[in-house]
Amino acid sequence: MILLLPLLIPLVGAAVLLGFGTGGRARVLALVIGAAEIFAVIRVVLAVYFEQPLQFGRFLRADALSAFFLLNLALVSGLALVYSFDYLQHIEGNRFSSPRWFYTLVFFFVFTMVGVCLSANLGLLWIMMEATTLASALLVGFYNTRGAVEAGWKYLIVCTVGIAFALFGTIVLYLAAIRSGLSPDAALDWMALMESVPRLGGEISLLKLAFVFVIVGYGTKVGFVPMHSWLPDAHAEAPSPISALLSAVLLNCAMYTLLRYDAIVARAIGASFSHTLLLGFGVASLVTAGLLIIVQRDLKRLLAYSSIEHMGIVAIGVGLGGTLGLYGALLHTFNHSLGKSLLFFAAGNVRQNFGTSRMDRIGGLARSSPQAAMALSLGTVAIVGLPPFALFVSEFAILSEAFAQSQILVAALFLATLSIVFGGMFHHLSGMLFREEQSAASTRLEWSEALPIAITVLGLAWLGVHIPAGLQGLIERAIAVL
Amino acid sequence: MDLVQFAAGKTLSSSAVFLLVTVLLLAAAQRVSTSIKLFALQSAIITAQVMATAYTEKSAEAWVVAAMVFGLKVIAIPSTLLWLVERLKTRRAVEPTISGAKAVFVAVFMIFLSYAAVQPYALESHIAADALSSAVALILVGAFLMVNRRKALMQIIGLLVLENGIFLAALATTFGMPLVIEIGIFFDLLMGILIMGIFAFRIRDTFDHLDVTKLRRLRG
Amino acid sequence: MRSLIPLVQALVIVFGAPLLRGVVSKLKARLQGRQGASVWRPYADLGKLFRKEDLVPPLASPLFWMAPRIVFAATAAAVLLIPVFQPAAVFGSPGDFVLLVGLLALARFFLVLGAMDGGGAFGGMGGSREALVSALAEAPFLLGITAVAIMARSTQLAGIVTWTLGQNFFDISAVHILAFSALAMVAVAETGRVPVDNPTTHLELTMIHEAMVLEHSGPSLAFLEWANSIKLGLLLSLLIGLFFPWGMAAGFSLPVLALAAGAYAAKMAALALVLAAVESSVAKMRMYAVPDFLGIASATGALAVVFTAFGGR
Repeated sequence: MILLLPLLIPLVGAAVLLGFGTGGRARVLALVIGAAEIFAVIRVVLAVYFEQPLQFGRFLRADALSAFFLLNLALVSGLALVYSFDYLQHIEGNRFSSPRWFYTLVFFFVFTMVGVCLSANLGLLWIMMEATTLASALLVGFYNTRGAVEAGWKYLIVCTVGIAFALFGTIVLYLAAIRSGLSPDAALDWMALMESVPRLGGEISLLKLAFVFVIVGYGTKVGFVPMHSWLPDAHAEAPSPISALLSAVLLNCAMYTLLRYDAIVARAIGASFSHTLLLGFGVASLVTAGLLIIVQRDLKRLLAYSSIEHMGIVAIGVGLGGTLGLYGALLHTFNHSLGKSLLFFAAGNVRQNFGTSRMDRIGGLARSSPQAAMALSLGTVAIVGLPPFALFVSEFAILSEAFAQSQILVAALFLATLSIVFGGMFHHLSGMLFREEQSAASTRLEWSEALPIAITVLGLAWLGVHIPAGLQGLIERAIAVL
Repeated sequence: MDLVQFAAGKTLSSSAVFLLVTVLLLAAAQRVSTSIKLFALQSAIITAQVMATAYTEKSAEAWVVAAMVFGLKVIAIPSTLLWLVERLKTRRAVEPTISGAKAVFVAVFMIFLSYAAVQPYALESHIAADALSSAVALILVGAFLMVNRRKALMQIIGLLVLENGIFLAALATTFGMPLVIEIGIFFDLLMGILIMGIFAFRIRDTFDHLDVTKLRRLRG
Repeated sequence: MRSLIPLVQALVIVFGAPLLRGVVSKLKARLQGRQGASVWRPYADLGKLFRKEDLVPPLASPLFWMAPRIVFAATAAAVLLIPVFQPAAVFGSPGDFVLLVGLLALARFFLVLGAMDGGGAFGGMGGSREALVSALAEAPFLLGITAVAIMARSTQLAGIVTWTLGQNFFDISAVHILAFSALAMVAVAETGRVPVDNPTTHLELTMIHEAMVLEHSGPSLAFLEWANSIKLGLLLSLLIGLFFPWGMAAGFSLPVLALAAGAYAAKMAALALVLAAVESSVAKMRMYAVPDFLGIASATGALAVVFTAFGGR
């Protein structure tokens, strides 16, 4: 039952919002439903942490890994909901673009992502992942401008094709499971697959084929290069709270899916195949995104490419393996979500005040709106990986693992790209802060926008200095699951 | 051997041929409505294959799946798409980027590729080579159609053909996945088509055309 | 007696060709809601033409007069290679389908020469169009028959028919379906039917075959029209023989032969109906679209040949 609540609340909430969420009521209703949802999710997380993995029926399961990603989801959705409280005032209501529809779609989106984290069955996992694409497509195109519609369409098509390939990979894995003797009902169940790993080891070519399709398919949703073409458009054109949800939660959910598949394949036929693929995609994403960051002109596109870069880092962490590598990777997903949300919230505020997100038209932030300037600066410092913020810790862990395994090339590329990104981001940032020509139309920063920003900054700082025992324990148990 | 059993056996072995014919016709099609009807025909052939499998494997689940495939892909989705074509008031022509005989040659090449690729595996794995080869051909040609067609609607059809191919591949190798999963997949597909339809309207409204090759504002 | 049977079947095609044309026209008319002319009308037309005078343009060479007769002779000779009632032809030999294609090409060559020799503008136009269409149609023609020949392990038309007779109709073969599609498209192109060419058009700019016979008259025109009808009968009989030969006579007794004749007539009638239906429902293609059409036929034929390598069942 406890597992059903996090799924039912957003679904029912979406229906309620659709029916009753007219006018200003929508925002308040959304906050209430959001609070209930976060409460339900935290309950699951605590139950798993303090007791044991939970199972409901054949299809729902929560273990330490799910709990970790659920924690991430709860935190960021809560922040995004608070942020959107005042952010949406600026949207004119036409057919699909009213606060009522916004929150309905948001909660449906949350429902699908919770579903991803709670799936015990790989088929259900696929269904939920496809549903995330469908749920978020309308959110990406929310503003109904040319750019938004184009971004939404591209997102929809590219990700659906990718997920179709992932379906093919799942089918091949199913075939391998059946051929090694599992019953049809158990052949898609993650626990059953993990337990029958020795038998699966005989189907080497099928497992390899399956993993290739899965990493290409779900990798499209993670944003690996070269399947990333949808990401900059989608994350840039969406409303800022949605961009935060996309970058900080959805990418993590996709990575979660890859982790589940990697666990099975790595245990069955040895880690080298799957980890090499992950390393390859990770390095490609890291380097490509890092280089493209330098030439960006739009603030939110810049942040989107930064997300691709950080997902590449996570993939490198997983691909390296080892306790440090995996630890760094998991911690990095959490830290990146905090940092990216911070940046998107700040960027959203800047965009509202300047009317554009083109960086060459934004200037003089340091003087006109010091709070926004501070938020943006702190976010940039954090995302680039400088201490005392948390991303430094996770990146350091992954880097150490690289050196420990004598993966000198990977480490070198990592460091080089990080330096390039450092330079690029600060160049853009200083332009926005200190350029003289432009000035803002207004310099508002609502409390509902400031609060999430403050929380993320504090969180990043805290984690950078000391990781609480609870989180540490959760991550370690998640690693044990894998 | 009674007639139904005989018919079922023949259906499985020979329907691959008809699927390939629909594939070639899709590559050569000139009008959007023709493409939609060809897709419906293709789905009907696949329904027949599912029913034949249900009969020979004596599986009740497969009958349900056959009903779903028929209801969804032969009736619901094609009618929705045809309705969309009407409402969008778009031009009837397909407007491919590679047209006519060249597209058919590409389709032929892909069919050849899929057969050549599946042959070595099929021999060692006792899988129905014909069905799997036609499934892979459907996947490849579906991807080609998505790239080749300029209209947003035609991209949807390419995607649908791709999904048909994947479904057929599942059918050929494992005789279908558990029923609940199949239902979920179909539901996703239906939702996906609906949302794509919504987007098609939006594209038409904001851009006044449905040419996706012109959606190139966001770059870099 | 025995060796006369193949000769009789050749004569049936040659003399029955105008009847076939009449039947197709009648069916087309009925499908379009008209009464249509009698099915024996082409015979009356031929008779009328034979009685008329042969007008030759003053600047034409003897080729102008000879070409129609050569065309007729080549087409009639090609008929001798086709099995009709029996899985045997008058002059069968290994590789005879290449000879068949060659004879048809010869006929076409002289047709084009005769058209150009007439000196009129439309003759040249029709000739060049016909040359394009037939050049593109040769490939699928050969590919389609090659595919079936590979399956039958015989390059003799009679041998292919015998092999097909031994097959089960319900064992649908990918190769045969593709080859049939390719050859059907070729048949439409070669005989100048809709959608490649409209045989009843009177607008010169839309003509291919009609433009070439525009200058001929009297017996020359009769021979050309007759040769065209024979070509239609020949190609349809080829389709029947290669793909639907069941019912052909295995022996020589009268009942068996009668059955074979009946089966043949029924199949021809069915094909005529299909042709009439297609002609009534499809619009003629622009000349620029014809190479595309034949390109698709070539692709289908090529696929058929490729499929023989995969055991093509």
